[in-house]
Amino acid sequence: MKKRSVLLAALAALFLVQAGLHAFAIYPRWKRDYAPKTAGQSATGLDPAQFLFALVGFKEFIAGILWVRADSFFEQGNYDAVLPLIRLVTWLDPHQIDVYATGMWHIGYNFTDTEQRSDRRYIPVALAFGAEGARNNPNTYELFFETGWMWYHKIDDNYENAVRWWEEAMKRKDMPPARKNLLSPAYQRNGQIQEALNLYYKLYDEAVERAKKDNAFGNLQIRDTIERNIDTMLVRMVQRGWIAQQKGYYDQGQYDTKPPFDVGFSVRATVEEPAVIRFQGTWNVLPVGTRIRVVLKDKNMPNDQPAGMIWDQGSAVDLEVPVGLTFMQEQLFVRNRRFDKRVDMSNDRTMYPFKAENYVLEFYYNPRSAPPHIQDKFGYNGEGMTDKNFLNTEVRPGQRVVFARLELTRDQILRRGRWMDEVPFVQTSNYVAPNVRQEKSDVIIVPGILAN
Amino acid sequence: MRAIVAIASTTVGEAIRRKVLLIILLIGLLFLSIAPGLGGLSPRQETTVLTSMMLGILQLTSAVIAIVLTVYLIPTEIERRTIYTILSKPVQRWQFLVGKYVGAILALGLMMLLMSGVLLLTYYLLQRDVSRLGEIAKAPLFYFVQMSLLAAVAVFFSTFVSPLVNFFLSGGLYFIGSMLNTIYDTFANSPTTNPAVKAVASVINVIVPNFANYNIQNPIINPGQQIQNPTAYALFTTAYGVFYILILLIGAILIFDKREV
Repeated sequence: MKKRSVLLAALAALFLVQAGLHAFAIYPRWKRDYAPKTAGQSATGLDPAQFLFALVGFKEFIAGILWVRADSFFEQGNYDAVLPLIRLVTWLDPHQIDVYATGMWHIGYNFTDTEQRSDRRYIPVALAFGAEGARNNPNTYELFFETGWMWYHKIDDNYENAVRWWEEAMKRKDMPPARKNLLSPAYQRNGQIQEALNLYYKLYDEAVERAKKDNAFGNLQIRDTIERNIDTMLVRMVQRGWIAQQKGYYDQGQYDTKPPFDVGFSVRATVEEPAVIRFQGTWNVLPVGTRIRVVLKDKNMPNDQPAGMIWDQGSAVDLEVPVGLTFMQEQLFVRNRRFDKRVDMSNDRTMYPFKAENYVLEFYYNPRSAPPHIQDKFGYNGEGMTDKNFLNTEVRPGQRVVFARLELTRDQILRRGRWMDEVPFVQTSNYVAPNVRQEKSDVIIVPGILAN
Repeated sequence: MRAIVAIASTTVGEAIRRKVLLIILLIGLLFLSIAPGLGGLSPRQETTVLTSMMLGILQLTSAVIAIVLTVYLIPTEIERRTIYTILSKPVQRWQFLVGKYVGAILALGLMMLLMSGVLLLTYYLLQRDVSRLGEIAKAPLFYFVQMSLLAAVAVFFSTFVSPLVNFFLSGGLYFIGSMLNTIYDTFANSPTTNPAVKAVASVINVIVPNFANYNIQNPIINPGQQIQNPTAYALFTTAYGVFYILILLIGAILIFDKREV
């Protein structure tokens, strides 16, 4: 009996010791050092068999199988089926860098309407996904680079974010030299011209050292490319008057950016059919290469930002986008000083649900996003560009952009009520109909035809 | 002590002769050998998938061996009446139980040693990287403590339930215990969880044997993570395992002492 009591007492004591050991010495350490580094601990959507396998140590194996499956969905163009698989794979193996990179691209680019416009409601999700990937893989440059690319190429605005992500990517040793060059144009688009030049010099020095050690064709090519970029940039800095601005004598000299050129923006939006809008307008710039952004979105939408939305909406990945929100973004390509684009949203009511009563149309042109030959006139920061009616320095503080805003109602867009028979349109007060020829210069004279 | 050693050595001999255990072991070894072929599932992460896969096979096979080896440990002796022969000698019940358990984990250790050797050899032949072998070898050591704990759970249950029930009971407890930290973490960190539920989760977290503490493969599979003081962690988890094994063996002794055989 005594032996039994001793054993029971030992049992109780050992129980308390193991509980304390686990709660205070083991669990905090396990959580810090050994727990799977996943963003969400929820196992939502996980098949029990996969979950069991995952728990007994096959996470990466299952992730590999699922990724092969996801790849076959990619081949078939079944993008909807890919999304949960991507989430599952990264949950099981948060170190699958390829899956994060491809998944981010897929979320940001591949959900499109029938006219290949991507569903920009997914961009905050793609950014959050990239940020999660970068958090889970802080030792490689890749997801920092990919997230920066999303800002630079897809959002093509708010370049400070592209700079921020690529500066982080640059801190990682595995970033290939050719990719490092991209930070310089990002600096330029962000108005950091001196930083862009300094970076080129730094990369050039590195490239020269690399070429000295190994004169492989790739190393020589990178060195020569940077050298050419530096030459071109120095010429442009002079001709665009940037150096003069920094030295304080811009007013005294003749530069390509002077005098500021009036782009003469005007627009008319006509609802030709339900959810079909035609945009016509003027842009007084002859060289090809201008794309004016048009955005149609709910009036008073959450996370609103002029000519876009607040793209960075937090680090939590939520694949459920706001399905009731209408957000359409398109580029109006200018030819012969005019643009004329028909945007058909009628076949994609999931992307364009038109649930709100009122909508805004925003037209936006940022010279920082312009191609170099247009920037040669407009300058790095739009100092060579003006517009009598729509020059705006407030929607992007510190930048000179063209910005115009019009409004439409749901009844107008969907041609309901009185708009069933009456064609609704909205236009800027300076709009000039394209069939009214104002000047002879509008006529393109082709010499061959003239000779006949 | 001599009685315990004698029973343990007999148990090791029996375990090695058991065909079912040898078949499980062979399957494990076979899978370890073919695992490299599956590394290509992730083109840039062959090493990651290979390491994950091989450690997973080792862990799963060891768990099956640990359960199958121990669920029959006591019931077979009772069923075959061989226990009478043993207990009629100057051997106490607790010595019999402890001897059986020690024999089982020694046999388990031998089998795990063989599998770990194949794992490390396969890894070396494929990667030709000696520097990571030491890191990878840590996982089987943790798994051995984990499987010893699992064997203790099965021995404890074998004193009062049938082998079939014991198989599912021990397997189920291993399954739950393996995800205990993750489940607890989910409850503890969720702002929407009811405080009462959180409290229950905290209690369960310290009562149920926690196998998740030994799942240390994440930083091994994905090198580069900084581990602060791994020695302390190894000592704490080993001590935890030893304490919990003692709890289970004392519990088993108390039950087995009262049981009619």
